Amino acid sequence: MTQQAALAFFEGATAWVLATMRNLTAPASVPFSRVRNRLFVKYVALFVALVSVALLVNGASEIWFFYREHRASLIRIQREQAEVAATKISQFVNGIEAQLGWTVQLPWDARTFEQRRIDAWRLLRQVSAISELEQINPSGLEQLRVSRTDPDVFGSGIDRSREPKFRHAVSHKRYYGPVYFRQNSEPYMTLSLSGGNDSGVSVAEVNLTFIWEVISQIKVGAGGQAYVVDALNRLIAHPDISLVLQNTDLSGLAQVQRARAAISEGVSQPDQAARNLQGREVLTSYAEIASLGWLVFVDLPTDEAYAPLRATIARTALLLLAALGLALLGGMFLVRKMVVPIQALRAGAARIGSGDLSQRISIKTGDELESLADQFNEMAGKLKDSYANLEAKVEARTHQLEQSTHELEQSVLELRALREVSQAVNSTLNLENVLTTIVAKAVQLSSTVAGSIYVFDARREKFEQRATYGMDSATIAAFTDHFDTGNRYVNSALARQGPIQIPDFRDEPASLTRDLILDSGYRAVLVAPLLWQDTLSGLLVVRRKEPGAFPKTTVDLLKTFAAQSVQAIQNARLFGELHEKSRQVEIESRHKSQFLANMSHELRTPLNAILGYTELVLDRIYGDIPDRMRGVMERVEINGRHLLRLINDVLDLTKIEAGQLTLEMTEYSLKNVVEGVLDTVEPLAAEKRIMLKGEISPNLPLARGDERRIAQVLLNLVGNAIKFTDSGEVLVRASKMDRSLVIAVRDTGSGISEADQGKIFDEFQQADNSSIRTRGGTGLGLSIAKRIIEMHGGGIWVESTLGQGSTFSFTLPIPEEKTPQP
Amino acid sequence: MKRCILVVEDQEDNRRILRDLLTNSGYKLVEAQDGQQALTMAERKRPDLILMDVQIPVLDGYEVTRRLKADPVLRAIPIIVVTSYALSGDESKARAAGCNAYVSKPYSPRQLLATIREYVP
Repeated sequence: MTQQAALAFFEGATAWVLATMRNLTAPASVPFSRVRNRLFVKYVALFVALVSVALLVNGASEIWFFYREHRASLIRIQREQAEVAATKISQFVNGIEAQLGWTVQLPWDARTFEQRRIDAWRLLRQVSAISELEQINPSGLEQLRVSRTDPDVFGSGIDRSREPKFRHAVSHKRYYGPVYFRQNSEPYMTLSLSGGNDSGVSVAEVNLTFIWEVISQIKVGAGGQAYVVDALNRLIAHPDISLVLQNTDLSGLAQVQRARAAISEGVSQPDQAARNLQGREVLTSYAEIASLGWLVFVDLPTDEAYAPLRATIARTALLLLAALGLALLGGMFLVRKMVVPIQALRAGAARIGSGDLSQRISIKTGDELESLADQFNEMAGKLKDSYANLEAKVEARTHQLEQSTHELEQSVLELRALREVSQAVNSTLNLENVLTTIVAKAVQLSSTVAGSIYVFDARREKFEQRATYGMDSATIAAFTDHFDTGNRYVNSALARQGPIQIPDFRDEPASLTRDLILDSGYRAVLVAPLLWQDTLSGLLVVRRKEPGAFPKTTVDLLKTFAAQSVQAIQNARLFGELHEKSRQVEIESRHKSQFLANMSHELRTPLNAILGYTELVLDRIYGDIPDRMRGVMERVEINGRHLLRLINDVLDLTKIEAGQLTLEMTEYSLKNVVEGVLDTVEPLAAEKRIMLKGEISPNLPLARGDERRIAQVLLNLVGNAIKFTDSGEVLVRASKMDRSLVIAVRDTGSGISEADQGKIFDEFQQADNSSIRTRGGTGLGLSIAKRIIEMHGGGIWVESTLGQGSTFSFTLPIPEEKTPQP
Repeated sequence: MKRCILVVEDQEDNRRILRDLLTNSGYKLVEAQDGQQALTMAERKRPDLILMDVQIPVLDGYEVTRRLKADPVLRAIPIIVVTSYALSGDESKARAAGCNAYVSKPYSPRQLLATIREYVP
């Protein structure tokens, strides 16, 4: 497992714990039934989560530090191995170099070929890694070649001066050639040394198999490897020889590049994670063989390197799991100890809440929960007490309510009965009907079976049974006359001025009444007197077949019905009297009208004769008459005519009042009426030298009414105007205003005072009573006019100022949709 | 030849006034005191005009008028009805009976004479 994986595991675990805690602390808007286990689950989860977090943090940090240390130690070991290998290789090369150095110690000329050959062989014998030695003189010509496999060559004279092994050795004293392979099986390297300008150059072909041995001796775990790259980054030693023989270039490997970079920058060991040639992830360390420019690498596959780590993680996880289990168990135990009483409390409270107030919560934890339970119990007890109290109150209230409902119903019944009774009293004048209604309601509402209403007949001094209820005809007959003014019960009721009750007639002293009551099967009787201004006008009696006192409500009710009966009887009497009176008035009125009509006729007949004769005398039918006599005769005629007018007016008024005046309704021209009246009074006006004018609006509509009566009214008004005007003019104006015709008669006469204006339309009223005599006229004209106009649906009025004349006006409604007068 | 006027009137004074007036004015007068007499006199005397009071015994003036106007021969005689009540409807009743003119009491002899002259000059 890598570092990343460990981190991922750690992060995942943390996220799970956080998520779980978030879920557990989520708002508890859950149904009641699910709440049952939530508290338990919540606390257990919280407990476990806390333990888990602690263990996880602990385990993770331990793993982390272990990982760091383990890695560092592995790296250190690998580095040491690499450095050991590098040292060995370095010493091997230095050894060879030291041996070889002897051959160039002396100037070239100081030694002979033979000597040189012996030295060469000696060297080959001493240093097995050197397989061939070549000596080049200072001029660069090959002089000697000694080989283990080939014959020795002397003085070949081959010019090597241009080859690197000569030139480089001359300039740098030593030269390490690249590694190469002979017969594709062993690595070789050319090593040349120069002793000075004149000592020539010794070139040795060095067998590097020793390096392989060094490398293959390095054991890093099971899959670890050591290898060496040369200065050109080519693989020169590796446990897998075939790779070396393939002349593998390792320039592409990351660790090689990083190592080179670090060396060139003089930095210490760079990051140790990399991939090896096979592509496996490895931990790698290196050591430099500075003289050669070679690098020794030691790789250890990561999975192998971290195997102990994985075991540690597994152990920690196992521990964690075990701890979790323990935490779960412990948490459950602890939470259970805490939650069980809470649940008991909740269940008890729920039962109390659902109305089981006798429920008591039993918790013996000895802590706040127990005191809470005690408080619940106390509350339930108090609730129970108050409920019991409440129930008693509700029961009492219900009882009261039932009672008042009953009373209310009774009152409603009584009110309804009273309403019916008063309706009957007020709507019908048939006394029998009203009394029957009353007695029926009285019996029904007093829980009795029979009842009667008696009305006192003052003429016969007897109580007359006028209405009954619940009695057959025989009983009705038996009870018809049984009360008289001497009856003790009647007297008793009268004395009390209120109802009396006989709860049981069997207890009463013997009397006719007792016999009658008991014979008819009744036992208890309630008698209410009908009192009108403290005198007895009748009796309301109800009877019951069961003995017993009548409740006060019934007595009061009967009193009310008695009052209603009195009202009905009085109404009937009053109405009877009223009816009789109006009938008499009507007859009288009719008689009076007839009388007046007859009277006027009878008065007129002789008056006609008087006037007729007078006129004949004045017309000299009977011959000439002396002037003095003519004067007298004229006075006779004038007074006769006045009397006749009086009689006519009285007759008119009488007829109007008697309702005998009927209008002859026709459509007529108001213009004609006005003109006719003006013609009639023209002589009168001319006689008094009064200007008489008529103003009639054009296109007046036709009027509808009794033309003769309207003419009579207008004649009266104009006649009066002329009569009361001594100079000036009289104007008659007829016009249309809205839906009415208006006729106004204006004079310039003496005028009428405001006080008189109000009464001149009354009978026998003139502005100045003396004028009746001086001016002629009956004093009835205006009141007749007023009535005629009112019969036509119009109005009549006067406007006047004393000394400035008067204007009398009247209106006549215009009939609907009449064409204008042509 | 004098024109003949039948005066139907039960009141003696009224009859006399009419008699004096009309005789003086050059008419010949026949008189009847009740409805039945009026019919008889009209049939017998064939007057040129009848002056008919409505308030007369036996048959009232309206009835007499109606009957005369129903007679094919006598219907030509003009009838002036004289009413004593100024009651509404009298005039229309008189007209309905078939009278030619209508005069209400109290009348002025002069006015009455003028009306009569319209029918019998």
